[in-house]
Amino acid sequence: MSTPSHQDPRLDQATASDESLLAAHEKLVGKQPDEKARYQLLPLNLLFIFSGLIFFAGTYLNRYSGLFDPKIYNENELPGTGGPVAVKVDTLVLGKKQYEAICITCHQATGLGQPGVYPPLAASEWVTGSEERLVRLVLYGLNGPIKVNGVDYNGAMPAVGKVAGSGYNLSDDKVAAVLTYVRQQWGNTAGPITTEQVAAIRSKEGDRKAYVAQELLKFQ
Amino acid sequence: MMKNGFLFFIGLLAAFVFGWGGIALGSHLQLGALAPYYDDGEGSTFPARPQGLASRGQLVYADLGCASCHTQQVRRPDFGSDKDRGWGERQSVARDYIHQVRPQLGESRTGPDLANLAGRKAPYDGAELTQFLYTGIVPGTRVLNHPPYKFLFDERKIDGEVSANALALPASLAPAAGRQIVAGERARTLVAYLQSLNTPYEFPEARPVTPAASAKEGAHK
Amino acid sequence: MSSPSTTAEVTAADTAGRWPLLLLLASGLVWLVLSGVLALIASIQLHSPGFLADCESLTHGRVTALAETTFIYGWAANTGLGVALWVLGRLGGAPLRALNWAVVGTLFWNTGLSLGLVGIATGDATSFALLEMPRYVQPLLVAAYVAIGVSGILAWNGRRTDGTFASQWYAVAALILFPWLLIAAQTMLLWSPVRGVLQAVVNGWYVQSAFSLWLAPLALAGAYYVVPKATGRTLPSYDFASLSFWTLLFVGALTGGRHLIGGPVPAWIPTLANASCTMLLFHYAVVALNLRGAFSGGGTALRFISFGLVAYLLGAVLDAVTAFRGVALVTQFTYFATAQQQLALYGGISMFLFGSLYFAVPRLTGRAWASAALVRGHLALAMFGVLLLVVTLAAAGWTQGHDLNHAATSFADIAAHTRPWLLGATAAQASLLLGNLLLLVNFAISVSSVCCSAPAENSFRQPSTMEAHAS
Repeated sequence: MSTPSHQDPRLDQATASDESLLAAHEKLVGKQPDEKARYQLLPLNLLFIFSGLIFFAGTYLNRYSGLFDPKIYNENELPGTGGPVAVKVDTLVLGKKQYEAICITCHQATGLGQPGVYPPLAASEWVTGSEERLVRLVLYGLNGPIKVNGVDYNGAMPAVGKVAGSGYNLSDDKVAAVLTYVRQQWGNTAGPITTEQVAAIRSKEGDRKAYVAQELLKFQ
Repeated sequence: MMKNGFLFFIGLLAAFVFGWGGIALGSHLQLGALAPYYDDGEGSTFPARPQGLASRGQLVYADLGCASCHTQQVRRPDFGSDKDRGWGERQSVARDYIHQVRPQLGESRTGPDLANLAGRKAPYDGAELTQFLYTGIVPGTRVLNHPPYKFLFDERKIDGEVSANALALPASLAPAAGRQIVAGERARTLVAYLQSLNTPYEFPEARPVTPAASAKEGAHK
Repeated sequence: MSSPSTTAEVTAADTAGRWPLLLLLASGLVWLVLSGVLALIASIQLHSPGFLADCESLTHGRVTALAETTFIYGWAANTGLGVALWVLGRLGGAPLRALNWAVVGTLFWNTGLSLGLVGIATGDATSFALLEMPRYVQPLLVAAYVAIGVSGILAWNGRRTDGTFASQWYAVAALILFPWLLIAAQTMLLWSPVRGVLQAVVNGWYVQSAFSLWLAPLALAGAYYVVPKATGRTLPSYDFASLSFWTLLFVGALTGGRHLIGGPVPAWIPTLANASCTMLLFHYAVVALNLRGAFSGGGTALRFISFGLVAYLLGAVLDAVTAFRGVALVTQFTYFATAQQQLALYGGISMFLFGSLYFAVPRLTGRAWASAALVRGHLALAMFGVLLLVVTLAAAGWTQGHDLNHAATSFADIAAHTRPWLLGATAAQASLLLGNLLLLVNFAISVSSVCCSAPAENSFRQPSTMEAHAS
């Protein structure tokens, strides 16, 4: 076909009618066999490229999508492998938090209590001594007289654990945390209390009323 | 299919639903109910809800089109220089934005990222930010590198005392004697918003990858 | 040449649709010039931040939104609709029906757009890309679009021949899909907004869908029609055109997350976009094979379309490459992304539309364009402008991206490093604006001559019959 070399830029001539354009292209995709026997299969190379792209896209998606997990922000991670791990809150931080929310009113930030009214926790044999005794005291509370470092106190310590009649209902890990905190604060150097210890004692004792000092002294 | 009008229409519908379902609806089903994160140790939820003044400031930020030059999304420390520029210690995650009425993620960093503007190591205080909006000159420099948005301010006669919202401008920019430049309501809410931009809490999903998992970083780039 | 017969080039369909379609095309050109002015202001502000900073309606954010909105909903939508209706009418073989609907729709569309622009300038902008117009005009836009589209759908349903052609697929897809898109996007973003970052995800989906399911089909509808008409040859590899069409429609929208790489969305969203960008290359490869005849012919329309074809393909390749995270590390958040957008919208879509416009207007008016010099001037300025714009913005973006990754480089230094390139981009915008003014003047003279003078002579050559031959 001839293209005029000096075409008028103001007007592009059409070299095919609309009807013939439709008919000619329809023939190209028509299912009827070509009468001149020049019917071609779909060019294989294009089909090959199409499948190749699908394969690449699928592989790439599988590798870098974090398996469509909503918590994966780094495409190199997979859920559960090398991804974010739930980090335990530092026991002492958690314990301090509980102490400052609950215990501090009576036992004070210094851990010294108030002379004659609230017993001290610093250097107290009740705190640094038997774990069984301490856990029970804090879980269930204590009523009546108690002798700390040779000084007599008479008061009521409320139940803190998740037991009947408790006003605080702290979970076992929080009880363990606050106990660990007081056992290592103000110069105390006793070992930590674990959540499992607290849980074991709580399930063993079940629901009961507050202790008196004599009952607790039986635990060593 | 290309000849049958009905089939063609069904094809169009399927294409639309495929794309819409795959991106818009799919992500909505996955993240639409994302809840704030309750931290046991802290005893409160994160992110914190924005305050009223800051929320109004976000609307000013949005309608002035600040997002056309500033992003509010920090990329993870091993991807780009976001951490080195002090824009944030961790990557921004979807949970950071759940309380925002209209998150301003932005797509252009003609200016710096603002996601942690108030949490930066050397943040500008409210007075400096207000003055910056008026002058367009970064505190401590002399170059005009931001449009001066003077229309957010009023020039007024000093009537008795100087207004609490008046700017302390250098001599070269100060108004005539006896007059003052006062931050208007939009300037004040905008600054309150900018000063509320902070993402201090480290959500579990935002923690950096362990080195072992990122060893193959860049292998397939 | 010979007198008009049944196969005459200017048909009854053209004269019947003359004024409604010219109204659409004229609106498009007026908005194009306006968007050029706004884009020029925005470009100047990038290297001179104090420029018009006191003007509240023209903060950089607002003027960018205004320029983008005018360009897409003013220029591309009006012109694309005009071309699509014209192509559907011609291939349908009968004069377009329900054109009074199209006229009313055009008036309402442009009214809604004007109100939306006033809304953006006065502080009601939504801050969503491509959806900046306030929500109170959005339902009007949907209704107006449907009204304009009715004639196209009627022409498709009432077509005389059983067979269909690629132009018709693309045109009908654009007419049907866009109202769905706009309704879904405004529902999820403006009327009942999704939460948090989902807004960015839905916005990304809308932006990409508006390109792949609306603007690109509108532009391709014209290009697929003009190329075989002007060359007189059937399209090579035409049997793949339908697979390419469906690839664009199904995969296009999935690339919506490609601007969220490293962002606060789960990794699968950008990864899906990345894989889809690569997958989409199939569509572009087939379009390139189909339309390669555009390079062989002379004539104004084919010059624009061949330029557009190169830009359309190059844009796709750049999209696919920059969707990989290693490259996005440099190009993301920079002027490079703007360069890509301009390459696709100006280099690709607009150049296709210019080509169709130059082919269609003489057939609607019944006479050639008024001035050859203005045609040549527009062609030169538009090509030069697009080239300069894309090259300078890409260079600015590449510089900016490397500087951004170097934490010690301050923003003042980045501004200094990119400034020469941004000055070049401003020159490019000026060139584009000037070229488009020439087009508008030429269009105004050509159209006004229809009312004032009778056609001098029938300058249209009678088209021959196209033979189906494998090529």
